[in-house]
Amino acid sequence: MPPALELRDVGKVYSGGVRAVDGVDLTLEAGEIHALCGENGAGKSTLAQIAAGKLAPSTGTVTGAERVGLVHQHFELVDRLRVWENVVLGREPRRGLRIDAAAARERVRALGTAYGLDVDPDAVVETLPVGIAQRVEILRELAREPRVLVLDEPTAVLAPVEIDALFATLRTLAASGTAILVITHKLQEVVTHATRVTVMRAGRVVLRAAVHDTSIDAIAHAMVGGDIPALAARATTVPAPAFEARGIAAGEGAHALRDASFAVRGGEIVGIAGVEGNGQSALTDAIAGILPYAGTMTLGGAALDGRDAAARIAAGIRTIPQDRQSEALVLDWSITDNAALGDHTRAPMRRGLAFDRGAARALATEIVARFDVRTPSIRTHVGALSGGNQQKVVVGRALAHDPALVIAYQPTRGIDVGAAALVQSRLIEARNAGAAVLLVSFELDEVLALSDRVLVLFRGAIAGTFERGAFDRARIGALMAGAS
Amino acid sequence: MLLTIAAAAMALAGANPLDGFAALLRGALGGTHQIGETLVATTSLLFPSLAVAFAFRAGLFNIGAEGQLVIGGLCAGLVGAALTVPGWIAIPLILFAGAFGGGAWGGIAGALRARFGGNEVIATLMLNIIAALLANYLVVGPLHAAGATGAETAGLPESSWLPILLPDTRLSIALLFGLALAGLLAFVFRRTVFGYALRAAGDAPEAAKRAGIDLPRTALLAMTLSGAIAGFGGATIVAGVLHRFNVALSPGYGFIAIAVALVGDLDPLWIVLAAFAFGILQSGSLTMQAFAHVPKDVVTFVEGLAILALATRRFVAPRGAAA
Amino acid sequence: MDELRGFLALTLIKATPLIFAALAGVVCERAGILNIALEGGLTAAAFTAVAVSFGTGSPLLGLAAGVLAGMALCALLGVAATRFHVDQIVAGTGLNLLAAGGTAFGLVVVFGQPGASPEVRALGTPGECVLIVAAFACAFLLQAVLDRTPWGLRLRACGENPQAVRSAGVDPRGMRVAATVVGGALAGLGGVFLSLGELDIYSDGMTAGRGFIALAAVIFGRWTPLGAAAAALAFGALSALQFVLQRAGVPSELMQALPYLAALAALTGIAGRARAPAADGVPMEG
Repeated sequence: MPPALELRDVGKVYSGGVRAVDGVDLTLEAGEIHALCGENGAGKSTLAQIAAGKLAPSTGTVTGAERVGLVHQHFELVDRLRVWENVVLGREPRRGLRIDAAAARERVRALGTAYGLDVDPDAVVETLPVGIAQRVEILRELAREPRVLVLDEPTAVLAPVEIDALFATLRTLAASGTAILVITHKLQEVVTHATRVTVMRAGRVVLRAAVHDTSIDAIAHAMVGGDIPALAARATTVPAPAFEARGIAAGEGAHALRDASFAVRGGEIVGIAGVEGNGQSALTDAIAGILPYAGTMTLGGAALDGRDAAARIAAGIRTIPQDRQSEALVLDWSITDNAALGDHTRAPMRRGLAFDRGAARALATEIVARFDVRTPSIRTHVGALSGGNQQKVVVGRALAHDPALVIAYQPTRGIDVGAAALVQSRLIEARNAGAAVLLVSFELDEVLALSDRVLVLFRGAIAGTFERGAFDRARIGALMAGAS
Repeated sequence: MLLTIAAAAMALAGANPLDGFAALLRGALGGTHQIGETLVATTSLLFPSLAVAFAFRAGLFNIGAEGQLVIGGLCAGLVGAALTVPGWIAIPLILFAGAFGGGAWGGIAGALRARFGGNEVIATLMLNIIAALLANYLVVGPLHAAGATGAETAGLPESSWLPILLPDTRLSIALLFGLALAGLLAFVFRRTVFGYALRAAGDAPEAAKRAGIDLPRTALLAMTLSGAIAGFGGATIVAGVLHRFNVALSPGYGFIAIAVALVGDLDPLWIVLAAFAFGILQSGSLTMQAFAHVPKDVVTFVEGLAILALATRRFVAPRGAAA
Repeated sequence: MDELRGFLALTLIKATPLIFAALAGVVCERAGILNIALEGGLTAAAFTAVAVSFGTGSPLLGLAAGVLAGMALCALLGVAATRFHVDQIVAGTGLNLLAAGGTAFGLVVVFGQPGASPEVRALGTPGECVLIVAAFACAFLLQAVLDRTPWGLRLRACGENPQAVRSAGVDPRGMRVAATVVGGALAGLGGVFLSLGELDIYSDGMTAGRGFIALAAVIFGRWTPLGAAAAALAFGALSALQFVLQRAGVPSELMQALPYLAALAALTGIAGRARAPAADGVPMEG
């Protein structure tokens, strides 16, 4: 039987000479579950787009792209429309000139039952929790009867239980003849659920194996091309009272924070474990002062309530936001000008009414040196830096003025392993020096590797606390999914 | 390309395009008087253009410079006609009244945006028309200048007129104010903390918010200051050119200002040059109409075309996030 | 009773161009284009209709030409915004200036006199009535199209999340341009009504900001065709009321300003916080 999808010597070069994909051969057989692994920037998403026919390769051939469905990491759904409207968009069943809404609803129900993806066809997408919204995205692709289904980081937004359910669905699909390509960096999932694995690095294929012939270590080694850099050592610290939150409630709707009470002491890293969408953003925004909240917060014994973002920064609360490109940096500005953001209203950046660019330059130079930012100069536009280097600027800025509390929200999202190790090491060093660090991450491995204490956040409330040395991974996973 | 279209338009009007262009340039630069008129138009354009650019840099669309200019001119005209103090006291008061009126008018849109997240494009568009109606009502009705034929207020006493810069022309020292303002704004943007925060709000609103910049307050300030600049401009027209407030004081300067701001790349110093270029168009168009029989509206047409053509090149406006 | 009938008739006459323009606004905004060039579209259509009627002697040809003019102008906005990535507000402003200058210029070129055209053959009372009915019919038709047809669904999706439309295999840019063309046609009908329906001449500035009132009607109408048409009808009534109240000494400028003041009030959320389409006015990548 011919393969369901075949990529031969596929390459993609962007203007400017960036080689996103270089000479890749990939074959997908019907009924297999194939994992595609690699660091960020390895070319996986680009390859997925080419495989699905959404992007034309610069070289090489793709056979079978017409019947490929693509489930994106960030869903492409129309929030204000209903489930059935999203699923049939572009291929609406008709009755004369009108849409046959009944037929559309029926299609959604039928597909849902066949693959275990039950959703209410009339629900409006924006009211759905993330795990259910993902089902809609999958249904939309399934409605096109694809021979190949590509899923880009599908488990990033799911709790462990939901991940099992997703793979059960994928197995059903595979059994019915569809070829499945899962892009993931979660190696445990690869060895548990996939039959074959392909590893990409810097746009090229570096490993091709049947899963039972290889191991997590081998895959990880291939992804990184060497050993993963070690993290900074954890010094013994004497934690001192620093930040305390009591009864915090913020935000509205499905992702609100309902009731959080916890403390972060100077010299410790407190990690918030949880699936995306359980109140993490509301929590970090409330502490940062950009979201109104109920409850009380203190820093160093002084009350924070009622103080706005600028006051909190002045008090020593620094944030590493989740989305560096839109929430942390001004892409059109130089590293120098970005370095001053947040401190621009205080000395030394501010002298009377004037903005002291010299002081900003000094800080930028220090950040570039200390954080190994690869850039031609501090005058370079931040937008021209790679993701990893951009994140280093953000982290460097946050840690520059000996903050009392650092909120690190997904600090290593989307950056290469080397930069991630550096960022994590700097956070540990800040902790060693006495800072209170609040780490919020959707990667459980990261939380467990860095934290002194782990709190599980589920549906806006803290479901459990775990001390280092007593991290019960299974129990944490269960709490993340809502077990009691 | 623009020139070809303009030439074609002129030909349609039954005129010789070469004559048209020649008349335009002659009318704009042909003598001291003409240069004076061109610079008057330049000055009148400069203020609203700086106003529009100022708001744009903060991520806001101020389409209401026309209305702010009118209200500013109205306030200036009323204050000016009523004051009987010596010129050196009166003039600053008149100009301040203009800035105050324009600022308040811009502030309404700014407040709607800051407090309610209301779209400032719609707000300023509506306020433009309300301003025109208000001015019309006041000046045709209760505040009409006795004995005047047009819709205008009483005239300013001669001591309150802005001193003339170029003898035998209508060009007043307002041009100097404009140039100074352009320099001041350039300095503010590059060198002050306020300018830094404003640019951040316009270029990356989410990042600015997290850096402690108060976005609603910035929006309110930006719209108010922008309106004040436009209002000041209206005041200079009243105090420097017309010496009274007339409802027809602006042939759409507030809208042409958008083109000028774009041509000037939102940079105050380039905007000065752009304002001069458009000033040539404005003042030359009357001569062009009189002598080459090309209707002056072809200029408006070309200005509209200019906006479309120039914006294509590189302009994707920064949009501030909802408050 | 006669007074009432006169008032109702005047309301319908005043409302009709507003309804067309408001419907145009809804179509464009639901697709994600904030069309501030409606004013220019009305102007271009009104002028072209009169010019063609003058030249051919046929008001029907004038009507067709006017509609085409509206379509052309608004299509320019659509193309500029999607193909050339011009910001929608900037492009709209440019087009308004273009229309204003072009029509004033056109008056001299075509009629040899500035300010206003001579009288031409117009649609007459029967034609006027047809257009009035058509305005209401279009409102219902557009509502049904948006709610029930595939094209309507895709249009609505376009205004919320163009990326999703693209990944569903539909070209959002094409949809946005199509929306501006349809909107332009509607605005064209509104402009034709102004010059050939209600009157039989074109005069400089006769659109008098109606294109902007239409934007206010869209907000009041919560971005739905029926809602916007109802708001436009209300504004028409205000306009008709102006003549009645003028005799009672209420300044006409106040009455004229009411729709705009109402729009400002709408921005404060008094009319309820309906949300605009998420991608309204937002440029698309690629």
